[in-house]
Amino acid sequence: MEKNFVIAGFGGQGVLLAGEVLANAFMLEDKKVTWYPCYGAEMRGGTVNCEIVMSDEEVSSVNKKEADFIIVLNQASFDKFEPKVKKGGYLIVNTSLAEKIENRSDIHYVFAPISEMAEKLGNVKMANMLSLGLLMRASGLLSVDILEKALDTVLPVHRKNLLPLNKNAMEMGYKYDLLAVNC
Amino acid sequence: MVECLNKTKVLTKGNYAIANAAVIAGCDCYFGYPITPQSEIGEFMSGKMQELKRAYVSAESELAAINMVLGACSTGKKAMTSSSSCAIALMQEALSYATSDELPVVLVSVMRGGPGLGNIFPSQGDYNQSTIGGGDGDYKIIVLSPSTVQEAVDLTYKTFYLAHKYRNPAILLADGLLGQMMEPVEFGEYPYPEVDHSDWALLGAKNRNSRIIRSYSPQEEPQCEHIRHIFEKYRHLEENEVMYEEIDTEDADLVVLSFGSLSRNVKAAIKQLREKGLKIGFFRPITLFPFPNKRLQEIAGKTKKFLTIEVNMGQMVRDVRLAVNGKVPVEFYGKPVGSWPSVEELAEAIEKAVI
Repeated sequence: MEKNFVIAGFGGQGVLLAGEVLANAFMLEDKKVTWYPCYGAEMRGGTVNCEIVMSDEEVSSVNKKEADFIIVLNQASFDKFEPKVKKGGYLIVNTSLAEKIENRSDIHYVFAPISEMAEKLGNVKMANMLSLGLLMRASGLLSVDILEKALDTVLPVHRKNLLPLNKNAMEMGYKYDLLAVNC
Repeated sequence: MVECLNKTKVLTKGNYAIANAAVIAGCDCYFGYPITPQSEIGEFMSGKMQELKRAYVSAESELAAINMVLGACSTGKKAMTSSSSCAIALMQEALSYATSDELPVVLVSVMRGGPGLGNIFPSQGDYNQSTIGGGDGDYKIIVLSPSTVQEAVDLTYKTFYLAHKYRNPAILLADGLLGQMMEPVEFGEYPYPEVDHSDWALLGAKNRNSRIIRSYSPQEEPQCEHIRHIFEKYRHLEENEVMYEEIDTEDADLVVLSFGSLSRNVKAAIKQLREKGLKIGFFRPITLFPFPNKRLQEIAGKTKKFLTIEVNMGQMVRDVRLAVNGKVPVEFYGKPVGSWPSVEELAEAIEKAVI
């Protein structure tokens, strides 16, 4: 089994870190995994994204045409990645910064005001971890505990104090009622 | 910076993995000048080497960096630099000197787009630059080509070992994709024995006759003898150090070749076609020099056709054609630079070639 994920947003939303946490979580589950950042002459204020490919065997490739799961944290990412969700795949949308529109009928949309939820929890910067919680709920692939362990692996010692808050964010995402929104 | 020493399994970027492996291999000196897509190597070294009280110099140019490596290697130390395409072009003269001086230079090359300044996208356009090179005279460089981050670690160790064992420059040839991607790796310990350099290294001539390392040789015969001696080492390399990965070539009508991280896309495409019942084999040279000529000649006796796939306009394909010497047709598929062709695109290209 091979599944791939894209996390996209604008610079500063913690998109690459969220991808790193996700990739570490798969590694902790003994999966083969590859993380690859969007790469090129990027522009300040522009969009940023990364792709994570998880597999039971050697990861075949990155830069895939389509993804099983895509998280978009802003409108520009929504516009760019909505067409790239695999048929039957999931698009997780931050409705705080993107419009709630469904242009396709062959994919699952998960709409949630991710930035506002993170802000309510104490810090908008946790939108990235909150979105990972949503992803786990939609995909059923990993538990929040594994995500937390992965974040612990990634965080440098002087940032470990941020673990509890971020775990709350992951849990809030995980517990978000997907059915009530649209799934 | 990713802290990855002393951990069993870590998710790390290709560039950091290579740098960390070099540290574990016992690299005493790093000299470098930054260039995308390999700048993380210098970044990692700038912290780690100082912490370990080893030598790190941020050189004023690539030319300076490679010549500092030559200087450090002349004392028998493990020294390296790392760079990319257009900047490695600047180092060609020094590599030629280092082969004649018999210095164990280690160079990490993380390919980007060329020619000229090109761009920072991944590419495989420096196969020729690495295996043939642009320096003067008769020489060869040992070239190892990893396809995963774990293999980049393992081959970094091997690059150091072979450079020192054969006293010849060795290149670890990675690409921008491999340099930037993160994958789980285990570092382990440096698995090779240390090579004794005490009989030639320049460490001060107290209580012994002086030594001199130079490539200048004004007399005809000694120079011929010197070059024959160097080529004797290359013969040993070809006999003893060839590495390759081979899958399902026994019954294959078509054998597809590729090198580096692109091989993974190629393997996935072949797997799809095998499931459709097509008899396709796969072959990946891991050492680009010494090239697996002998094994390819054997396979050419059994299969009907070869197809070489590269992200360049056809470089390794020439070595494949030389190896099979007209025994079977060798076709080429590729693109000049940028994201690797998708598994679907490759499957289509390979299926076309099989008929």
